[in-house]
Amino acid sequence: DPQSGELHVNPEQQISYTACIGCTTLCGVRVRIDKASGRVLRVAGNPYSPLSAQAPLPMKTSVRDSYVSLSRAGERGLAGRSTACGRGNAVIEQMYSPYRVLTPMKRVGPRHSGQWQPISIEQLIREVCEGGDLFGEGHVDGLAALRDLKTPIDAERPELGARVNQVGLFFSVQDGRESLARRFIQQAYGSINIVNHGAYCGGAYRSGSGAVFGDLKKMPHAKPDYTHAEFILFIGTAPGNAGNPFKQQGTQIARARTDGGLNYVVVDPVLTHADNLAARDRGRWVPIKPGTDGALAMALMRWLFDHQRFDRHFLEQPNQNVAEASGEAAWCNATHLIVTEPKHPRQGRFLRASDLGLALPDGAERYGEQDAFVVAAADGTLLAHDAASEAAQLFVDASFEVNGQPLKLASSLQLLREAAFEQSIEQYSAICGIPVETLAGLAHELSNHGKHAAVSAQGGMMAGNGFYNAWSVLTLNTLLGNLNVKGGTFVNGGAFRYDGPGPRYDLESFDGALKPKGIPLARNVPYEKSSEFRSKQAAGQPYPAQAPWYPNAPGLGSEWLPAMFNGYPYPLKALILWSANPLYGVPGLAGQVHAAIADPKRLPLLIAIDPFINETSAYADYIVPDALLYESWGWAAPWGGVPTKATTARWPVVEPRADKMADGQPIGMESFLITLAKTLGLPGFGAAALRDTDGNPYPLDRAEDWYLRAGANVAFAGKQAAPDASDDDLQLSGVERLRPQLEATLKPDEWRKVACIYSRGGRYQPQSEAYSGEWNSNRFTRPLQVYNETIGCARDSMTGQRLRGVPCWSAPHFADGTPLRARYTEQDWPLQLISYKSPLLNSYAIGASRLRGLHPENPVAMHPDDAARLGIAHGDFIEIETPDGHARSRVAVRYGVQRGVLAIEHGYGHRELGARAHRIGEHSQPEDARLAAGINLNDLGLRDPTRAGYSVWMDPIAGTAVRQGIPARARKAAA
Amino acid sequence: MLQNRRDFLRGLVSISAGAIALAFDTPAQADTQAARTAPSTHRWGMVVDVAKCIGCQACTVACIHENAVPEDNFRTIVSTYEVHEGERTDAYMLARLCNHCEKPACIPVCPVGATFQRADGVVLVDGERCVGCAYCVQACPYDARFINPVTNKADKCTFCAHRLDAGLLPACVETCVGGARIFGDLRDPQSSVRRLLAEHQGEIKVLKPEQGTVPQVFYLGLDPRFAGKVDGEAALWRPSHQEA
Repeated sequence: DPQSGELHVNPEQQISYTACIGCTTLCGVRVRIDKASGRVLRVAGNPYSPLSAQAPLPMKTSVRDSYVSLSRAGERGLAGRSTACGRGNAVIEQMYSPYRVLTPMKRVGPRHSGQWQPISIEQLIREVCEGGDLFGEGHVDGLAALRDLKTPIDAERPELGARVNQVGLFFSVQDGRESLARRFIQQAYGSINIVNHGAYCGGAYRSGSGAVFGDLKKMPHAKPDYTHAEFILFIGTAPGNAGNPFKQQGTQIARARTDGGLNYVVVDPVLTHADNLAARDRGRWVPIKPGTDGALAMALMRWLFDHQRFDRHFLEQPNQNVAEASGEAAWCNATHLIVTEPKHPRQGRFLRASDLGLALPDGAERYGEQDAFVVAAADGTLLAHDAASEAAQLFVDASFEVNGQPLKLASSLQLLREAAFEQSIEQYSAICGIPVETLAGLAHELSNHGKHAAVSAQGGMMAGNGFYNAWSVLTLNTLLGNLNVKGGTFVNGGAFRYDGPGPRYDLESFDGALKPKGIPLARNVPYEKSSEFRSKQAAGQPYPAQAPWYPNAPGLGSEWLPAMFNGYPYPLKALILWSANPLYGVPGLAGQVHAAIADPKRLPLLIAIDPFINETSAYADYIVPDALLYESWGWAAPWGGVPTKATTARWPVVEPRADKMADGQPIGMESFLITLAKTLGLPGFGAAALRDTDGNPYPLDRAEDWYLRAGANVAFAGKQAAPDASDDDLQLSGVERLRPQLEATLKPDEWRKVACIYSRGGRYQPQSEAYSGEWNSNRFTRPLQVYNETIGCARDSMTGQRLRGVPCWSAPHFADGTPLRARYTEQDWPLQLISYKSPLLNSYAIGASRLRGLHPENPVAMHPDDAARLGIAHGDFIEIETPDGHARSRVAVRYGVQRGVLAIEHGYGHRELGARAHRIGEHSQPEDARLAAGINLNDLGLRDPTRAGYSVWMDPIAGTAVRQGIPARARKAAA
Repeated sequence: MLQNRRDFLRGLVSISAGAIALAFDTPAQADTQAARTAPSTHRWGMVVDVAKCIGCQACTVACIHENAVPEDNFRTIVSTYEVHEGERTDAYMLARLCNHCEKPACIPVCPVGATFQRADGVVLVDGERCVGCAYCVQACPYDARFINPVTNKADKCTFCAHRLDAGLLPACVETCVGGARIFGDLRDPQSSVRRLLAEHQGEIKVLKPEQGTVPQVFYLGLDPRFAGKVDGEAALWRPSHQEA
C-alpha cells in the first residue's frame, strides 16, 4: 500500500534473496518465483547486499520491511534501489535453455563427436572409479587405480610427487563452492593439482598487486574509494563497462561523476561504456598503445620524482608504529636498505639487523621474519627499521661500513627512482603513444588531491609484460600514500568465513586428511629446487629449464594443458573439469591442443561437471550435470570493492532441474564428489566426516551437511552472532522450504541464525562501520613493497637472469627473452589485437537470447585512419591474421579505438554452448547459428615461438595468458 | 555510417520466436473501461539523468522479463553512440521509452479508440479494441511503439502500470544500476522528479519538443544533437531489431 507502506503479498509468488552467477561478481539478488510452476519470473537486486544496493539494509531489518523498502511508498524504492545489471536480468533464461545438460552422459564414438548416451549417475560413478574398457578403445585406469599415493611419478625426479598428482581438477570461479572440491581433490584424494581460471582472466593485475602487497600467492589487492575520491586514473579497467564488482562500480561511477566530487580518466586502447559525454569533463578517455601501461606509469612516476610531488611523509616512515603515530594509515618499505654491493652473496637482499650484528629476539631465525630490516636515520646511522622512532632517509645510495667492511646499500625508493629515470618522459611518451603534455597533466592531477586520488587497474594488464605493467601502475598508489584512507584505496573488509576451522564446525581438518606433496602441474615453484636444475648445474649450464617455471605465481590454468600434453613436468592421467573452459578462454591454446585432448592416449580420462557443454567439456568422456544459478548452494565473498565484512548466501530457491540420485539428491558437483569419495573410500566424506568444535561427529553425505554447517560458521563468526529469523522472515523469503533440513542438520541455537542469513541472502557488516574517522576500519597493515625482495632475488628459469625488484618499463617478450617486436616486426604485423570486456556478454552468456538480441555479434573495432589505409568501410569484412591464427570478421570503424589496434569484444565466436547441436540419446539439441556469431580473440592468440612443444604466450613472471597486444595484420575480405 | 546497417544485419534478423520458451503471461494492459476513466491524484513522469547512465541495459532486459516483451522488440532500450569532436571521442547513452506525452500523437490516429490515456497520465493500449493497424506506430515521433508479433496488437511501455497500481516502481527504474531513471508523481511537489525539474530548470529537455507532444519523460544532460533524429556515428551497440 503506497500510502501506509503496509505489505500485501501476492500468494502466488515468492521473493527470495540469493546470489547471481551471471559473472564472477556474484551479486546478491532477489528472485521472483511463480510458486505453482516453480519458475523464476524475474531477478533484481537484494537490498541487503552491498554489491547491489546503494544503501544496503542492516541485517536487523525484517524481510517484510525489506520488501517495503523497494516499493514506491514514500519513494523508498528510489533511495533503496537494489539492482541487477543487464546480464543479471537476462541470465534467468539459461535456467530453461534447451542446451542444458540435465542427465549424466557418456560419450558415444570418439571424443568431440557430439554424440552422447544418457547413463545413470551410479553407472557413471562406477565406471570412472573402476575404469576398464570403457569405450571399446582399450583399458582406461579408473580413479581408484590412479590414486597411487606411494609410487613416484618419476623415480629420477622424486620431487614431482606420487602418481596421484596425475589426477587434476580444473574449475572456473571461486563461487563459494570450491572448498568442497578442494577438500575432495587435495585432502581426500591426495593430488596437489587444482586450479582455476585466474591466469587467463585478470591474473597479471593480481600478480602485480601481489608484488605491491608482498604476497605473490594470495595476491591481495585494493580498490579506489569511488565515493570519496576526487580523482581516479583507470588504466586497463573500465568502470561501468566491466570489472569486478562490475555493477557496484557502475553505480558508484555514475553517482561519483554527477552528485559526487569525482573526476576520472580512463586509459585504454578502446573507448567503452566507462565514459559518458553527458558527464562532460568529469570523465575522459585517453587512448594508449596496447601493453604499454608500464611506460605510462613509469612516466608518471618520473614526473612525480622530478617535481617532488610524491607523498614524502608517507614514504619516509620506517615502520607501522611510527607511521601511525605520524598520522599515516599505512606504511611501506621505501626507506628499507638493499645490499647493492656487486657480487656480494646478499646482493639484492634487504640488509637485516643481524647483518649489523644486532641481537635477534629469542628463537628468531637469522634472515627470518623477526630479523628486522635496516634504515638510514637522518644522521646517516644505520638502525633496525622497527627501532627507528622517526622518519628515515628516503633516497640512499652510498657505501656504509658494516661490520668493518664497506658495503654499498641503496634504499627501495632510490632503486625505484633509478628505474623511473631510465627513460625520459619523451621516450615513455613515444612508447605508450600518449602525448607528453597529457602525461604531465595526468601526473599533476594525480598529485593534486593529496590522498584523495587513486589509480585502478584490472584485466587490461594481460599483456606480454603484464606483471611489470601492473606493478608499475599500482605503485603509483604507493607514491600517493593513499592506502587505507577514505577517498584513497582500500582492501576488502573480508568475509564471515564459512570454511576452515570455524566457530561451530571444523570444515578444514579431518581424520586421515592428506597434505598433498610434489611439483604442481604449472611449475609455480622454484626451478632451482628441481632435479633438472641440479643435474644441469652439475653439467655446468643450469639455465634454461626445459620450459619456464613460475615460482612467483599462483597455480596457472594457462599452463595446465601445455604442461600435461608436453609431459613436463608430467602428463595427467585424469582431468576433472568443473565448468572450466580453457579452450575458449586461453589465447592460442585451442588450435594447438585440440588433437591432443581428443586423444585418449594423451589424456586417458576426462570428466566434466557442467550445466552446459562448453568448448572444453565437449571433449569429455563423461559429463555430470550441475546446478545452475538460483538452484545452487554457496557461500561467496566479494572479490573487491566492499570495505566491510560481507558473505553472500546462495541457496536453491527453486528445485534444481537436473536428474536426481537414487537417494533423491539432485545431481551436481556436490552429490557427485561426495558419492565419488564414498565409493573410493576416501577420508573426509560420509559418516562422521565432519566435527563440531567439541569434537562431536557429523556426516557429510549431502550438500546440506556442508553448506548448512558452513552457515553456522558464518552466523557465529565475529564478536556477535547473527540475529534469529522470525517465522515471518521464513515464510516471506521462502526459507520455510529449508526449515526441515535446517532443523535436522543444525543445533537448536544455530538454525534460526542460519535461516536469518538465508532469508537476507547473506551476512553483511553495516556500511556505517566502513571507516574509523578518515581511515578504513579494516586496514592492510603489512608494508607495501616498493622493492620486492622475492622478485628481486628470483631468476628467470629460461634466461637465468635476475629479475628487477622494482617496477620498471619492460617491453613485452617471449620466454627466452626475445622481444615481441624482434620476432614479429611491426613491418610484418602492423596491427595489434586487444580484447575488451562486454557489459552484456561474457564467456558463458551467449545462450541468453535477450542479450544476443541487443547485441548479436562483435564486429572488430578499427580506427578510421587504419580503415582508410586498408580501404575498409564500416560494416565491411576483414581477414585478420596473426602468427598462429586467422579469422574473418566484420568491422566497426570507430574513433573510439587507438590507431593500429583491432579491438575484439569478449564473449563471441563460440563453437559450443549451443553453437553446435549435440545429440543426446535419441534427442538432438536445436540448431541455432546465432550462438556461433562473431569471433573469439583467443582463437587468434599466440604460441610462444621460443618454446618447444605446446605453449601459449604468457607473461614470464605472472604466467598469465597474453591477450593484449597480439601482433596481427588485416586485409579486406569478400563480403 | 548508418547506411550499412541493413547489410550489417543480414542473416541475423531471421529469428524464430519460439527459440526461447517464456511461459509467463503478458500482463494485462489495464484494458477495462474503468481504467480509462478512473480518477487519479497522480501524474506519473520520469526524469532520465543521462550522465548517470552506464548503458548496461538492465532496464531493457528487466522490462523484457517484467512485460514478456517478444524477442527482438523493446518497450525501452538504451541507444549507445560514439561521439567524435575534434580530438575528443566519448560514448553517449540515451534511454528511450514511451514519453507518456501530455498531448500524445498516438491517440487521435487510432481508428478504434484503443489507445487511451489514464487520468494519471499513463498512455495505454486496450488490447481488446486494438486491430493492429499500426497507425499509432507511425504517428509516434519517438518510435516507442511496435506491433507485438505474438498478439498482433500495438505494444509499448506502460510505465509498468500493473506495478504502479500495486504500489511498486516500474521495472526499469527499480533495476537502474546508475540510478539514471528517476520516477515519480509530477503532481506531488515533494517528489524527486518535481524537485529535479525545479533544481535543473533550464537544463531539463525533452525529445523532439517541436512535435508539440509535451513528453513527460524529461532528460537531464540531453545533448541537443540527440534530441531529434540522430545522424550518427557508429553505435557501440547494434540491436538486431534496428534497421536503417
